[in-house]
Amino acid sequence: MAQTPTVLHFSGHQYLRHRLVLSILSGKPVRIDKIRSDDKNPGLRDYEVSLLRLLERVTNGTVIEISVTGTAVLLKPGIIAGGSVTHECPLSRSIGYFLEPVIMLAPFAKKPLSLTLKGITTDEHDLSVDIIRTVTLPHLQLFGVSDGLELRIKKRGSAPSGGGEVQFLCPIVKQVKTLNFVDPGRIKRIRGISHAVRVNPQFSNRMIEAARSVLNRYIPDIYLYSDVYKGEESGKSPGYALSLLAESTTGAMHCAEAISQPGVPPEDIALLAARSLLAEIRRGGAVDRHHQSLVLLMMVLGSEDVGRCRLGEPTARTIQFLRDVKQAFGTAFKIAPADPSDPESTDLIFSCYGVGYVNANRTLS
Amino acid sequence: MDSQTHKAHRPAQSGAKAEKKKASKGKGKEKQHGFNEKAFAPKSGRRADRQGRRTAERDQTRLHVPLVDRTPDDQPPPVIVAIVGPPGVGKTTLMKSLIRRYTKQTLNHIQGPVTVVSGKKKRITFIECNNDLNSMIDIGKIADLVLLMIDGSYGFEMETFEFLNILQSHGFPKVIGVLTHLDLIKKAATLKATKKTLKKRFWTEIYQGAKLFYLSGVLNGRYPDTEILNLSRFISVMKFRPLVFRNTHPYMLADRFEDLTPREQVRQSKGKCDRTVTVYGYLRGTNYRLGTKVHVPGVGDLDVNSVQILGDPCPLPDAESEKRRKLSEKKKLLIHAPMSDVGGVMYDKDAVYINVPGNFTKGGMENPGEGEKMVLDLQDVNSTLEDQVAKSQIRLFGTSSQPLSVEAGPSSRPSDESGESDEDEEGFSDDEDEDASSGDEEDFAFEDEDALSDDDFGEDDDADVDNRGRSAPRTVRRSLQGLPSQDRRRGDVEYADSDSDLGGEDDDDPGPSRRFVHFGDDQPVNVASDDDVDEDGSEDEDVPQWKANLSEKARAAFQDTALSRRRRDWVKLIYNSSAPPEEILGQGSSGEDPSQGPSMDDDDFFTVANKAPVKTEETLDQTKEPISPEDLKEWEDEEVLDSIRNLFITGSSSQSAQDVDENGEPYEDAAKEDGSQAGSDNEDGDGEDGSGGQRSLNKDADALAAKKAELKRKFDEQYDEPDAVKADFYTEAKEAMARQQQLNRAEFENIDPEARALIEGYRPGTYVRMELVNVPAEMVENFDPSYPIVVGGLLPAEERFGYVQVRIKRHRWFAKTLKTNDPLIFSLGWRRFQTVPIYSLDDHSIRMRMLKYTPEHMHCYATFYGPAALPNTGFCAFNALGRDTPGFRVSATGVVLDIDRSTRIVKKLKLTGVPFKIFKNTAFIKDMFTSALEVAKFEGANIRTVSGIRGQIKKALPKPDGAFRAAFEDKILMSDIVFLRAWYAIQPRKFYNPVTSLLLSDKEKWQGMRLTGQVRREEGLKTPTNINSIYKPVERPARRFNPLKVPKKLQAALPYASKPKIMKPQHRATYMQKRAVVLEPEEKKALALLQQVRALRKDQVARRREKQEERRAAHRKKVEKEEAKKAEKEKEKRKEYMRMAGMKSKREAEMSEGGRGSKRRKT
Repeated sequence: MAQTPTVLHFSGHQYLRHRLVLSILSGKPVRIDKIRSDDKNPGLRDYEVSLLRLLERVTNGTVIEISVTGTAVLLKPGIIAGGSVTHECPLSRSIGYFLEPVIMLAPFAKKPLSLTLKGITTDEHDLSVDIIRTVTLPHLQLFGVSDGLELRIKKRGSAPSGGGEVQFLCPIVKQVKTLNFVDPGRIKRIRGISHAVRVNPQFSNRMIEAARSVLNRYIPDIYLYSDVYKGEESGKSPGYALSLLAESTTGAMHCAEAISQPGVPPEDIALLAARSLLAEIRRGGAVDRHHQSLVLLMMVLGSEDVGRCRLGEPTARTIQFLRDVKQAFGTAFKIAPADPSDPESTDLIFSCYGVGYVNANRTLS
Repeated sequence: MDSQTHKAHRPAQSGAKAEKKKASKGKGKEKQHGFNEKAFAPKSGRRADRQGRRTAERDQTRLHVPLVDRTPDDQPPPVIVAIVGPPGVGKTTLMKSLIRRYTKQTLNHIQGPVTVVSGKKKRITFIECNNDLNSMIDIGKIADLVLLMIDGSYGFEMETFEFLNILQSHGFPKVIGVLTHLDLIKKAATLKATKKTLKKRFWTEIYQGAKLFYLSGVLNGRYPDTEILNLSRFISVMKFRPLVFRNTHPYMLADRFEDLTPREQVRQSKGKCDRTVTVYGYLRGTNYRLGTKVHVPGVGDLDVNSVQILGDPCPLPDAESEKRRKLSEKKKLLIHAPMSDVGGVMYDKDAVYINVPGNFTKGGMENPGEGEKMVLDLQDVNSTLEDQVAKSQIRLFGTSSQPLSVEAGPSSRPSDESGESDEDEEGFSDDEDEDASSGDEEDFAFEDEDALSDDDFGEDDDADVDNRGRSAPRTVRRSLQGLPSQDRRRGDVEYADSDSDLGGEDDDDPGPSRRFVHFGDDQPVNVASDDDVDEDGSEDEDVPQWKANLSEKARAAFQDTALSRRRRDWVKLIYNSSAPPEEILGQGSSGEDPSQGPSMDDDDFFTVANKAPVKTEETLDQTKEPISPEDLKEWEDEEVLDSIRNLFITGSSSQSAQDVDENGEPYEDAAKEDGSQAGSDNEDGDGEDGSGGQRSLNKDADALAAKKAELKRKFDEQYDEPDAVKADFYTEAKEAMARQQQLNRAEFENIDPEARALIEGYRPGTYVRMELVNVPAEMVENFDPSYPIVVGGLLPAEERFGYVQVRIKRHRWFAKTLKTNDPLIFSLGWRRFQTVPIYSLDDHSIRMRMLKYTPEHMHCYATFYGPAALPNTGFCAFNALGRDTPGFRVSATGVVLDIDRSTRIVKKLKLTGVPFKIFKNTAFIKDMFTSALEVAKFEGANIRTVSGIRGQIKKALPKPDGAFRAAFEDKILMSDIVFLRAWYAIQPRKFYNPVTSLLLSDKEKWQGMRLTGQVRREEGLKTPTNINSIYKPVERPARRFNPLKVPKKLQAALPYASKPKIMKPQHRATYMQKRAVVLEPEEKKALALLQQVRALRKDQVARRREKQEERRAAHRKKVEKEEAKKAEKEKEKRKEYMRMAGMKSKREAEMSEGGRGSKRRKT
C-alpha cells in the first residue's frame, strides 16, 4: 500500500540532535546505529533518551524504536504538533541541550509551542538560557519568526542540582524568509548578563567590573546587567556566570560565556568571558559561531530563492550538519571566500537555493 | 508613360519606422490616441470626485496578489497547449492544422506531445487529450493553455463540464473555447442564435468575456488557414499567470519513453521483473532536486536514479537569427515529436539513433522465407545455450541410470545475484575513478602554492600504506571508522566513499599491490601481498606506527593551516570527501590517521573487536566548545587587543570600510578564478612593497568617489520625485521579488553545470532524461502514447502518509449523496487515488461529529487516510472513472485543510439501561454496562430518562454485574428507560489505492474497491439477513394500572383536602334520564315532513334496486346460455382432440410394432 520511504542512515552518537531534527523536518525516517557500541557503557545516555521523549511529546505520531542494547535508534517522524508541553530535563545536561533542537522545529509546528523545561539552566557544555534568549532568538527573527517568540527564565538552576525552569514560546510560520546577510558591519554595542545564584550577589558586580576592564577600550556602549535571583527562583545549587554578546551595526551578533568554576575568582571568569568574546569577534562572519547550523538550516528551508549568509570558518558541527542536510534535503551550499582580495579574511559566503519548505502541519482556517 | 498612375506612398502606421518618425516629430504633434481628454473632463466637482473614486476602484480590482514566476526568462520551457474535447469534435484536425501552421509539415499520425518553435522566444508543446477521464485529470494539472473544443452543431457535452470542473479544482489555466462543426448549421439565423447561446453558457462557466473561437468547415483535412492563423495569434499573445501548485512543484510532461532494463533480465523473469525506464522531457515548475521522489499519475511514486541534461531537441533560435524581426523560415521547420516518430531520428544522452527498419526486425516482414524464419525464431529463444546444456540429459553409456550433468561452474551463479554484484562493483569502481580524478584536480590547484606540503602528504601516505601491510591485516584501528564488512554490503554511503577514496590513493602508489582471494563465500578478501610485508619489516620495526613521523605530521599540519587555510575549496572538502569534520578543520584528532581505518578492514573476513585506545572521556554532543584559558592568554597582549580595533565602530575605518563597500560583488569572481588566484596571490604579495602605497591611495579615492556618487543618486531621487521613493505595498512587494529574482539568477551564473545542479537542482526549461527505477513491468508492456505520462515532483511533506482533513462539497450536478465510508476517488496534488473518507461537521467547536451523508448545498469536512498534501491544495473527487458511468462524474470538490497523524471525529453512542429498584431520587439501573469496571469508567457521567429526568451515575453495585446506583433530580418510574449519551471516537480506515490506470492494457477499465452491494449485484449474491433484523409486528400489551387504594384508617386520618373524594355510583335514574320530551307543533310538522320524504326516498331506492335485479337476472341468464354453448363447443373440441390423439398414439403403437411387420410385409 504505502511505499517505504527512504531511510536516512547514520552511525555514532555524535550529532544526534541535528540528525533527529533533520529527520523530523524532512519526514524521512532515520536510523542511527553504533551509538557508543565500543564504549564500556554502551548505548544511549539518559539525556539522549530524555531528548527522544521530548521530541516524541512535541510531535504527533512519531515512532521511536530503540534496540535492546540501546546502541541503535530508529525514528519514524510524525508531524510537529506543538501546543503546551512540560518536560523534566535530566541533570546530566542543561536545558540548552534540549532547547536547541526544539527551536529548530518549533516554527513549523501545527500550533504555537509553549514548552516548559525544568533542569539546569547554565552549564559548560551547552548554550545557557541567557544566550538562547539574547542571541539564538534574534537569529531566528532574521527568518521572520518573531511575533510572540519568547524565552522566559522563571527560575535559574545551576549544576549539579538544577532546579531551574524556563518557558519557551514560539509562534508558527507558513514559510521562513529568505536570508541575505552578507554585511557583518562593525560592532556597535556590547551587552551582557551576569548572574549569581545562591552566592554573594556581589559576585556578579565583580564580574561586571572585570569584564569592563577588558572591553571598555573598544567601545563605550557597554551595558552589563547584574541578574540576581533569590529564594525559590534561584534553584538548588550555587553558581554564577557571565554571558556577553556583541552586536554590530547590521545586527550581526557574537556571543561568549563563562561560568563559575570551583576555586576560581569571579574576576577570572569574567576575563575568560570577555576574551573569548574578543576571539569570537575576530573570527568574523555575520552570524555567531554557535548558531551557524541554525542559520544554515533556516536558509535551506527558505523559499525557492537564493539565500546568502556570511559566516566565519565552519565548525566541525557545521561541516557535519551540511553533509547531513544534503542527505536529508538534497541541497548543497555554494561556499566561497567573502572577499578574495583580502588575504587575512577567513570569512566565507554560504549561499544556497532554498527547498521551498512550507509548513505543511499548519491548519488552514 | 506619363499617364501611368503610381501607387501612392502609404507611410507606415506601425513598426520601427513609424516609431522613429513619431519620435522625431516630437511630443506636441503626436497623434492623439483614444479619447480627447478635454472632451471627457468632468463638469462638476462632485462628478470629478465620483470619477476619481471609480478609477481608483478599478485600479484596485486590477491588482492581484504578487506571485513569483519561477520560469526562467532566458530559456523558458515550451508552453503546454492541450487540445481537449469530446470524441469526434475535431481535435486531431485542429492539432494537425496548428502544427502545419507552425512547421509547414503535415503529420499523419500524431501521438504524444509535439513541440514546435512558435516564435523567437517561444515554443509550444501541443498535446491532444483523449476522452478518458484519467487523461483529462492529468492534462488539467499540467496544461498552460487549453483549447476546449465544442461541437457547435450539438452544443456542450458532459465531458466539457467535467473537464472544466477538474480545471477549476487544480488551479484554472487559461482556456480558449473552439466551436467546430458550425458548417452543419445551414440557416444563418440559427447559426447566429446557436453561437450566442453557446457563448453565453461558456462565459458563465469560465468568465465574462472568455475567448471563444469559431472554426468553420474542414478543407483538405484541415481547418481554413486564415482561421488557424488567427487562432495561433491568440495563442502567441497569451500571458500566463503562475499557478500556485505548479510554482511549488517540479514537473515534466514526458515526450519520450524508453525501457532500459537488460533484455536478459526481462527474458528470465518472463517480462515480469521491475523495469528501469527513462523518460525525456522539458522540466517545468520549480527546480528539480535529485533525491526527491516523483509521482507518475497512473503508475505511482517512483525513485529517480539519475537525471541528465540533454541538448535541447527543439532549441530556440540562437542570437544570430534573433537579429531579424521574425522567426526565420528555417527555424520554422523544427519539430520535436518522438512518440509520433517524425523523421525517425532520436537523440539520446550520448548518441543519435536513426531508425531504419532492418531485415530481421519482427513484424517487418510479410512472408519470411525458411532461413529468415529461422533467424527470427532465434530471437524467441527463452534460455541461453548454457542453460540448455545444463538441462539436457546425456547418458554416457546406454546402461547408466544417472544422466550426465553439467555442474554450474563458478561463473554461472544465479544471474540475479551476479548482476547485482556486478553492478555493485561497477559502482565502486566508478567512485574510485571519480575520486581519483577529483584528487588530481585538487593537486593541480595546490601545486604551485604548497608543493612542500604536498610532498609531506605524500610521505604521510606512504607511511600509512606501509603500516597496513605489516601489522595484522585485519586489525581494526579505529572504532568509529572500523566498519564490519556487512555494513559495507548494506550500502553505507559515507564509509564506502572513504574506502574508495583510499583506493584511489592506493592506485597511485606503486608499492603495495592487492590481491583478491576467493574464500568460501563470494566476497573478495583483501590480503596484503608478500613483498609488502617484507618491505614493512625492513622499514620500521620497533617504533609504534602512530609515532612514526610525528614531527613530520605536525609540520605538515601547521603548514596546512597556515598556508592553505583560506584557499581551501570548502565545497569539495565538505561534500566530496568523507573525512570527519574535525580533520577538515585540522584539529588534530589525537594522532590517529582517520584515512587509515577503513582501508584496512576494507573487505575483511574476520573483524577483531576494537583495540584502539579507549578514550577515557567521550566527546559530548555539545554546542559550546570548551574554553581553553591558554588560548585566551594571547589577549593579554596589547598588540593583539589592538589588532581587532577596526572591527568596532570606534576603530579606524580605512580598511574595514573598504571591506564593507566591496563585498557587494566580488565573490563571484572568486569562485571563477579560484584556481588561478592561488598563484597570482603570491605575486601580489611580492609586488606589494613597491606599489602598495600607490595602490591603496587609489583605492581610497575610488571608494570615496563611489560613496559620493551614491549620495548624489539618493539626493537626486528624493529631489526629483519625492513620491517615488515611498512606493505602496504592492510595488514594494513586486520590487522585492524582482530583486530576489535578480539575485537568484546572478548567484550561480558562473558555476559549472554539474556543480550548479548539485546546489540548485535542475532548472525548469532544460531538456532532461530521467531514469526511473523499479517501474512496474505493466507500464512498459501496456504503454500507449496517446495517454500522457506526467512526472510530478513531490515535496518532502508529500511523500508521507497521514490523515488528511479536507473541506468538501458535493457537486450540485452529481446525482447522489455521498456516504461516509464509501470509497471515493480523489485527484489531489499529482495523485489520483481511491480512499474511504469519513464526513464530519464541527459541532459547536466542541467536537467533530461524524455525518453519515454529506449535507445538501453545504460544505462539510471529510477525513481520509492518504498521502499528505499541503494545506490549501484543491482537489476533486469521483465515484467512478469509467466512461459508462451515467451522469456527471465529478462528485465533489474541495480544499485541503489539515494534515495529522490522528483524528478527532466522534459519533454519537447511546447506552440504555432500565431501573430495577427505585428509591426516592435514587435508582438502581441495570443492563447499561456489563461489569463494574465499565461502571467505574463512567462514574459521574450524566444520564437521562426518556421523559427528561436528568441524573448522574454514582457507583457500581456488587450484585448484578454492571448495575449501578444513580441519582436523579426526581423520582423515576420503573417503566422509564435510562440512557447515557456518549461520543465514540472513530478513525478512517487506512485504505489507499492509487489509480494505476497506466498499468492496464485497457486504460479505461480501472476497477477500484467496490461497494458491498455492488459486489453482491455483480456476483449475483443475496444479501444475508440477520434474523434479528427482520421486522416483526410490535405487540404492545395494554397496560393495566392498579387502582390507588388508600387504607380506610389512613383515609380517616387524612385532612379533608387530602382525602380521596370517592363517591358511590348512582343507582337511581337522573333527571336527564327520566324527564319526558314533548314536541312543539312546528317541530312535529317538520319531523313528519322529513319522515315522509325519507319514506319516499326509501321506496324509490327499493324499486330501483328491484329493477336492476331484474335486469341482472336477465343478463345472467344470457351469459349462462352462452357459457353453456361455449362449454359445449369446448367439449366437442376436446373430444375431437382426444380422438385424434388416441388415433395418433394408436398409430404410433402400431408403427413401433408394425414397423417390423411392414418390413416383413415388404420382404
